[in-house]
Amino acid sequence: MAGKKELTVVTYRGIFQEVEEALGMYSDGYRDQSALLELDGGDAKAMGLEDEKLILLETASGRVVVTAKVSEDPHPGIAFMPASPWSSQLLSGEVGEGGLMELKRFSATVTPTEGAVTSIEEIVERIRAA
Amino acid sequence: MAFCTGCSLLCDDIEVDFEGAKVKRTLNLCRKGRGHYDSLLVDRLAPAVDGSLVDIDEALSSAAEVLEGREKILLFGWGNSTLAAQKAGIELAKKLGSVIDDPSSYSQGLITEKVLKGELPTCTFDDVRNFADVSIFWGDDPSSSHPRHLSRFSYYPRGEKRQRGYEEDREAIVIDVRKSPTAQIAADGFFKISPGGDADFIEALMAALGGKIPKVEDKKRMLNLGTKLRKAKFGAIFTGLGLAHSLGGDLDAFFSLVGKLNELTRFSVIPTLGDYNTRGFNQTLFDEAGHVNSVSFKDGVDHGPEFGIAKYLDSCDAVMVVGSDPTAVLPAPLAKKLAGMPMVAVGTHRTLTTDGADVTVPIGVAGLEVGGTALRTDGVKVEFDAVVDSDYLPDVEVIERIMEAV
Repeated sequence: MAGKKELTVVTYRGIFQEVEEALGMYSDGYRDQSALLELDGGDAKAMGLEDEKLILLETASGRVVVTAKVSEDPHPGIAFMPASPWSSQLLSGEVGEGGLMELKRFSATVTPTEGAVTSIEEIVERIRAA
Repeated sequence: MAFCTGCSLLCDDIEVDFEGAKVKRTLNLCRKGRGHYDSLLVDRLAPAVDGSLVDIDEALSSAAEVLEGREKILLFGWGNSTLAAQKAGIELAKKLGSVIDDPSSYSQGLITEKVLKGELPTCTFDDVRNFADVSIFWGDDPSSSHPRHLSRFSYYPRGEKRQRGYEEDREAIVIDVRKSPTAQIAADGFFKISPGGDADFIEALMAALGGKIPKVEDKKRMLNLGTKLRKAKFGAIFTGLGLAHSLGGDLDAFFSLVGKLNELTRFSVIPTLGDYNTRGFNQTLFDEAGHVNSVSFKDGVDHGPEFGIAKYLDSCDAVMVVGSDPTAVLPAPLAKKLAGMPMVAVGTHRTLTTDGADVTVPIGVAGLEVGGTALRTDGVKVEFDAVVDSDYLPDVEVIERIMEAV
């Protein structure tokens, strides 16, 4: 399996995710619109990744498995992820110099993987296990 | 006509036919709004104590029991609450001597507070539709988050002084790290910046506005942007989370840029806020306490970042969440702290937060099942009525009954 890569992840909100959220956060539709990472084509190729393959995202705060989406537009070294319970698992909660808690941007190690997308039930269990 | 409380545009031109709570036909709803309307029949919150269903009266008395006797309570959320419920929430915070906060403490609170203080020029969406010839979307993608923003107000429509709309009279400029749907509409008006690159972009634009050569790769394009903004007759800047977070909460450079633009012409700022009545909570708390978030009523009025949810979770001993889902949004370490707290959750739907609460209290969906008032994200007050029959209580009644019981 091809190697891992350190990427800057920036979160965003997508309209289809917003719709699925309104229709239930425990739904497959919400998971499908949230548990994903948009990768630069060159970065994906370097990792041996194709569209719809699974990737493991890791930070010091947590780890989740999501689906890779290969972007048409180039954005090397940067990946985009819908803001959701999946991205929240990777955030540190640290407050920056300007006094704002970082929610939009973090560095993560991205590795091709197999298995299944992390379920929202698993995320809830992790939160409650603290 | 019905209102849509699916986002903070509070669209007031919705035609809808219901069969019970099921939508049969709609006109003018955006995709997101339709999801909001359809959600009436999905994952509704039920009154419960420790996971067991109870009647609403028992849920309310149990909610009061969770809060009673606590020394450091956090009342959090409020963006999806009516103005009346927000006012009642502030009264509850005073009665309990507690802290009250909303998600603006980790998003656009600084910009909103500056607007409310009159230190940042602003205007209404109606002004934008009638007069704006330049709309800047900065770290903001309303085509996804507020889908009718461009069509009702900021780009496409014809207005009093903008009869030729986007074809000739209006220009959209998008400053973002990602080629968002709004950036795709702006086409040549899209300025792609690197993550965290907003400060450098502001510095370059300030140079261009001052007639200096900016220190950027495409100097000509930045100089052209400076010329375009100088020549604008009525400019509007719509800010999103991306701007505040890129600058790490230190927004002085952005405020200086707005000041510079207003030395040259007229530019107004309208923050694009997420929940339907975030602006209402910020305004209501500002009127009461002089701040838009992170206020403690323990000893009079106290304010500071230590009373924002990011810090206060370290020291509080109970939480009441109203119309918000912080468990889904907060970074994992904070969500875990929240999960360990005695918690009451008041809301319309099941969420990660309500699933972790000791007591849940359901309320009706504002603008659909219950009436009320709210402030649009540009500060315009709107009043809406219920359009479907429902047994759910209005949010203000729930807050008032908890207040009576504590």
